[in-house]
Amino acid sequence: MRIIRIIKRRAHSLLHGSSADAELQREIEIHVQQLTHEAMAAGMAEVEARAMALREFGPIDQIKEKCRETRRVNWIQDFVHDLRYGLRMLRESPGFTAVAVLTLALGIGANTAIFSIVDAVLLRSLPYAEPDQLVLMFDVPLKQPDALSAISYRDFSECRDQNRVFSEMAGNAFHDLTLTGAGEPSIVNTADVTPEVFSLLNAKPLAGRTLLPEDGKRGAAAVAVLSENLWRSRFGSNPGLIGQSIDLDMRSFTVVGILPASFRYPEGAPHQDVWISVMQDPLFGPLTSAPGVRLLGVIGRLKPGVSLAKAQAEMDTLSARLAKEFPEDSGLTIRIRPYRQVVVRNVKSALLILLSAVGLLLLMACANIANLLLSQATSRGREIAVRIALGASRGRIVRQVLTESALLGLLGGVAGVLLAAGAVWSLQPFLPPDLVRISSIHIGGPVLGFALLLSLAAALGFGLAPALLATPSNLQTNLKEGGERTGQRGGRHVRSFLAVAEISLAMVLLVAGGLLIRSFALVTSVNPGFDPNNVTEAEVSLPQFQYSRPQQWTAFSGELLTRLHAQPGFEDSALAAPLPMDRQGAATFAFSIVGNPPLPPGKSTTADYATVSPGYFRAMRIPLLRGRFFSDQDSASNPNVAIISEALARRHFPNQDPIGRQMRFGFPPNSNVPREIVGIVGDVRDVSLSQKPGPMMYVPFAQAPLYGGEVVVRSSLSASSVAATIRQAVHSIDKDLPVTDVESFPDVLGQSISRERFRTFLLGSFSAIALLLAAVGIFGVISYSASQRTHEIGIRMALGAQRQDVLRLILEQGAKLALLGLGVGVVFALLLTRWMASLLYSVSATDPLTFGAVAIVLLGVAVTACYIPARRAVRVDPMVALRYQ
Amino acid sequence: MPKPSDLLQGTLDLLILKIIARKPLHGWGIAKRIQTLSGDTLSVGQGSLYPALHRLENQGWICAGWEESDLGHAAKVYSLTPEGRKQLGRELKSWNRLSSAVQLLIQNA
Repeated sequence: MRIIRIIKRRAHSLLHGSSADAELQREIEIHVQQLTHEAMAAGMAEVEARAMALREFGPIDQIKEKCRETRRVNWIQDFVHDLRYGLRMLRESPGFTAVAVLTLALGIGANTAIFSIVDAVLLRSLPYAEPDQLVLMFDVPLKQPDALSAISYRDFSECRDQNRVFSEMAGNAFHDLTLTGAGEPSIVNTADVTPEVFSLLNAKPLAGRTLLPEDGKRGAAAVAVLSENLWRSRFGSNPGLIGQSIDLDMRSFTVVGILPASFRYPEGAPHQDVWISVMQDPLFGPLTSAPGVRLLGVIGRLKPGVSLAKAQAEMDTLSARLAKEFPEDSGLTIRIRPYRQVVVRNVKSALLILLSAVGLLLLMACANIANLLLSQATSRGREIAVRIALGASRGRIVRQVLTESALLGLLGGVAGVLLAAGAVWSLQPFLPPDLVRISSIHIGGPVLGFALLLSLAAALGFGLAPALLATPSNLQTNLKEGGERTGQRGGRHVRSFLAVAEISLAMVLLVAGGLLIRSFALVTSVNPGFDPNNVTEAEVSLPQFQYSRPQQWTAFSGELLTRLHAQPGFEDSALAAPLPMDRQGAATFAFSIVGNPPLPPGKSTTADYATVSPGYFRAMRIPLLRGRFFSDQDSASNPNVAIISEALARRHFPNQDPIGRQMRFGFPPNSNVPREIVGIVGDVRDVSLSQKPGPMMYVPFAQAPLYGGEVVVRSSLSASSVAATIRQAVHSIDKDLPVTDVESFPDVLGQSISRERFRTFLLGSFSAIALLLAAVGIFGVISYSASQRTHEIGIRMALGAQRQDVLRLILEQGAKLALLGLGVGVVFALLLTRWMASLLYSVSATDPLTFGAVAIVLLGVAVTACYIPARRAVRVDPMVALRYQ
Repeated sequence: MPKPSDLLQGTLDLLILKIIARKPLHGWGIAKRIQTLSGDTLSVGQGSLYPALHRLENQGWICAGWEESDLGHAAKVYSLTPEGRKQLGRELKSWNRLSSAVQLLIQNA
């Protein structure tokens, strides 16, 4: 009952606020009238009586305000009122509003953009059911627990059949196959899987079916599942495709199903076109029965309630049994890792660093706006003093100033989200392709929620200090001094503190950006060991069912090179597999040196491997250090030879001459073939530009042919005409051969550092914004303080101070703040940059050069920013300055 | 004339409720009544009377309406609600407890 009455009252007050106010006015008027009548009855004149009545009643406006406050709906009315008032204030000073909103938009936009990537990469759940049950499994040498490798088919099937902790286990490998028959021959990314992968990941076909357990048996009929993309682009979404056959590597597969484009495994992998049983793959199929060949990535789904530790214990037992049973598995164990951890590991630290960087940026933006608001609040001191005198409580004023801040924050937030959407959209082409499925980065609910929270938090951050300072404790002084000095003393300290904080934050960001830029410059200027300029590469692969014998591969490559050599304008042409910076990574094989004592069991020496045609070293400009290059005489019928890199010679033939010695190594199954070392060549960075060159061994293509390889051509002709000529040459031999991945080598190198470039670009931009904000911040503080000191400056100049003295006075003040900020910033930077050591290449996280350069730049910018208000201050006419109040 | 002492904080609500429990009254009447009842020893600062009335009204203890009055024109007249009557009982009880406790303290001090 009472509740209803209260609600009715509140609704009435809210809806009929103005009539309630009129009633209140009338009620009080009656009271005052009665007091007046009483006084008149006592013999006073009317005017006098009324004056006394008013005095007796007390401060009417304050009493009214108190009555209104009891309505408890005030805050809503006040809020609406504050909102209107705030909007009017923002409209009245468009310059201030524009600067503040823009600053905030930069801060919130950068945060929102980075958060949208973090959301997509780290937070959003993986597109599989119950992703936390998914684990990956790796073969690991007992002695090197971090050297993860794939698992052999036999070990996979043993584990699959014997374990009691996984509800399902599946293996996968990747291979490029040639699709012929429908239009241009093309390379399709093929996933070689065991059929369990589909039920494990709960993949539902768009049409037809996925692979069944029978399809994974040896000797089963060859069937394939196609991706929606391939089905649409290559087969025109033909609904009758299921049941028909397609040719992969010149062998017929029956299409049994179509998988939707949304299915992808692993998440973030390059798109896949075709899924077949690993048994049906021309390369991997036969290798599944080779026990030592580890070719499968293995994923498992934990049974409900099984912990990681329990699963690992089970795998320890199983792999110990395998190691006892099979010689190939001695010294190995199987390690499991949570799927999510493996997927995000590479990008987590970089993303968290970026997120911290934009967080600092937002702090700076807030400091800047707080400064702007402070100077505004100071000039509004009188207005606020009047309002307090009229009965507004301190809390009420704080609320009003905070409402204005929130309004500003939300405006900045909206602008920031727009900015972020634009940035994410325009940055998409530059995102490292392996980072994440790019399409999954979008500004959705969680990101918008984040932006909203951020805007309000920022508003509170930059609004609180001005709001508190705006409500002075001593009212009289404010009214008397015309409000000019409101909050000045406290304000000046807060403003100096904000400027110092901004400079130190800028220092941290600039150091981080500077370290990445320096590191990136070192990576890009590093000598890869070969000359990529004017080199074009193209991939040619031979369908294995048609070109099944190595003699065919040699014959094809010989024919192709003969034709390429004959091309006018082609300086050098060669064939190699793999090339440096190959997307599939380097090929690493074990080797042994003939004549050296055998290595202890469980230990092996490895080196990166490439099979190359004789012209390769000339084409790539890899220098010969000793011995000779390969020649056409190094053919299959002549003795096997090898060329090793300087690093291999230095590491494994210390103080010996490797020329004439023999090493055993080779592409499986030829791993035990002895080869005589005939030459030593320079080191090459083959994995990535930022990785120091390791030992390398080369064999002549004619002695270790492959079913294809990379063509490299050195020519001063344009890359596109080189590409066209290569295509023409290949098709003149066999019109069904696909030529893919034609690229200029400098482009390949550029892509290999796309991640580094991307984060350097981002952090570099953030530091540039930080520098700008710091400059604006210190400019604001110094110019405000200079204008406050106009009077003092006038006196000094009237007393004979020179302009330089005054200039120095103001610059000194700025430099003091800047130096303080630098000092604090250096300490923070030293503490924080060590977290980014893993992103740096041959630069220490405490690189003194970077720190020094950043400090000088920041100091220079700060002093320049102070110079402008200082100049303005000394130009003032002393007479005007003296009169200035 | 000695200055009437300030009304003890918190007793104002009790006084208002008690006064309008006898008969509905307007603000001026309540102020006068407090003054006369207490033999001019208590005077309500008008500054606190009206906020107190509005607070009680918004809490649902009393309600108000504009009625013709002894002042010769319409005035806002306050009366007790049923809940207010119960509240008055509670406040009286706690006041009695408090005042007898204070009395006891003073006697034994």
